[in-house]
Amino acid sequence: MHSQTISLFRFLMLGILSKRLLVMMSIMVLVAVLAGSFVDELAIINGDAIQTAFVADFLRYSLALLALLMIATSVAEDYEFRQFERLLTMPLARWQYIAAQTLVIACLCLLLTLPVAVLISLYSNAAVGLYWAVALWLELFLLGILGLLAILSLEKIPQAVIFSLAIYLLAKFSSLISLMLTESVKLSEGSVTSRVIEFIFGAILYVIPGSRAFAENDVFFASYDLSAMLGSQFITVSIYALFLLTVCLIDFYRKEFNL
Amino acid sequence: MRRGERPLLLLPRPLLLGFLVLFASQLLYHHAGRAQVAANYQTLDKPLSAPLYRGLAMGSEQLLGYLLAIQLQLHDNQAGRHFRYSMIDYDVLIDWLELISAISPQSGYATLLASRIYSQTGDPDRLRQLLAFIERRFDENPQLHWRRLAEASLLAKHKLHDLERALQMAEKIARQPESVQMPQWARDFRFLLLAELNEFESAIAIIQALLRSKAVADPDEKRFLEEKLSTFQQNLLDFQQTTSN
Repeated sequence: MHSQTISLFRFLMLGILSKRLLVMMSIMVLVAVLAGSFVDELAIINGDAIQTAFVADFLRYSLALLALLMIATSVAEDYEFRQFERLLTMPLARWQYIAAQTLVIACLCLLLTLPVAVLISLYSNAAVGLYWAVALWLELFLLGILGLLAILSLEKIPQAVIFSLAIYLLAKFSSLISLMLTESVKLSEGSVTSRVIEFIFGAILYVIPGSRAFAENDVFFASYDLSAMLGSQFITVSIYALFLLTVCLIDFYRKEFNL
Repeated sequence: MRRGERPLLLLPRPLLLGFLVLFASQLLYHHAGRAQVAANYQTLDKPLSAPLYRGLAMGSEQLLGYLLAIQLQLHDNQAGRHFRYSMIDYDVLIDWLELISAISPQSGYATLLASRIYSQTGDPDRLRQLLAFIERRFDENPQLHWRRLAEASLLAKHKLHDLERALQMAEKIARQPESVQMPQWARDFRFLLLAELNEFESAIAIIQALLRSKAVADPDEKRFLEEKLSTFQQNLLDFQQTTSN
């Protein structure tokens, strides 16, 4: 059973690996390095730290988008070319497809974060480079699983990418939205509508990843306990990723395929 | 499959003419707009609140603080032209500096901009605003900002000609407990102020002391100080030659 899953993983992974991925990554790294050098030239002090933090954040968001697109495209092609119908005629359980896709996401994120680890280590030091690579891997993996859920449910690339990005940005801007809602309650002198909206958003926050699920960019400016930060991020991402995978399985098992 | 296209000349003449006229109008309008922007100084907009910027930072508050500081530093360069600092509204400038300090409190960039860049204004009221800003930041974090307060006291003596204010700031540095780590010359800074040194001699003395005491660890700042040191040495030489003639 495991060998079938591994075979399926290999097959799916081959679909992801392409020259296009390599070219896209190279362009992103090049743009990040050039933009980072420009920022370094402008800074009067702390140029190195600002440059490293800028390059790290630039790569974080561009690789997040790239990973999301790659995963969404891969699953969308399976829908388009009726791959699921073919797979289900074989002695394969549906969970094996989800397991194989999870392995693909993990490997894709590893591929994307390896050059980042080298680059950040060169800019900063090995410890910070390693922290950023692992933290970024966890962040990309979480986003990848979210993308997998979105594409399995919505079946179309644009909708899936927009949905995943919306959840990702909602999680990132949650403190800003909370602040705006709190101010809105104050300005409306505690009106019922504002309070209800604030309550609903508070409830939504329970089902989106918290700020601890993401890599901390402040590590480039001060010393922190990196292992403690990674530990906290690992626990947050593990719980949320497992929750998402369960939803993926429920959704995938409910789907009807015309065999 | 690619759909075939008809040659452009077969299209209705009024459509082609309309396209050419509108295209030319767009080019002219854009060019006129650019010339207008280049000629006029764009004022500094008031910043939004610090919590709002923190929310927008998506977890990278320190980086956003630095990027905002760099953006502010570049404000006097617009459309390839350098505008005088006197054109900047210093009330808004101080708001920006306060905001940057609030977003990234562990960064000394805002106080550096205040003491070394915007202090070049010739307006004493504006300079007083900057000195008050540096003093506020020093009160919050003396360890991070003692060098800026030392520079501010030099500005008070030589630019404002207010020795009392300069000594008041130097006293503030001297009164710091031993837990605030700084070289001894910084605690004795009032003696440097009382010495009969001119502006360039004082600046050279403080930069040399800073470089010697290894209080400056950042290579960019070290380079900046070394450039400033050679400029001040040249200025001092020119000043001495002028006075001897």
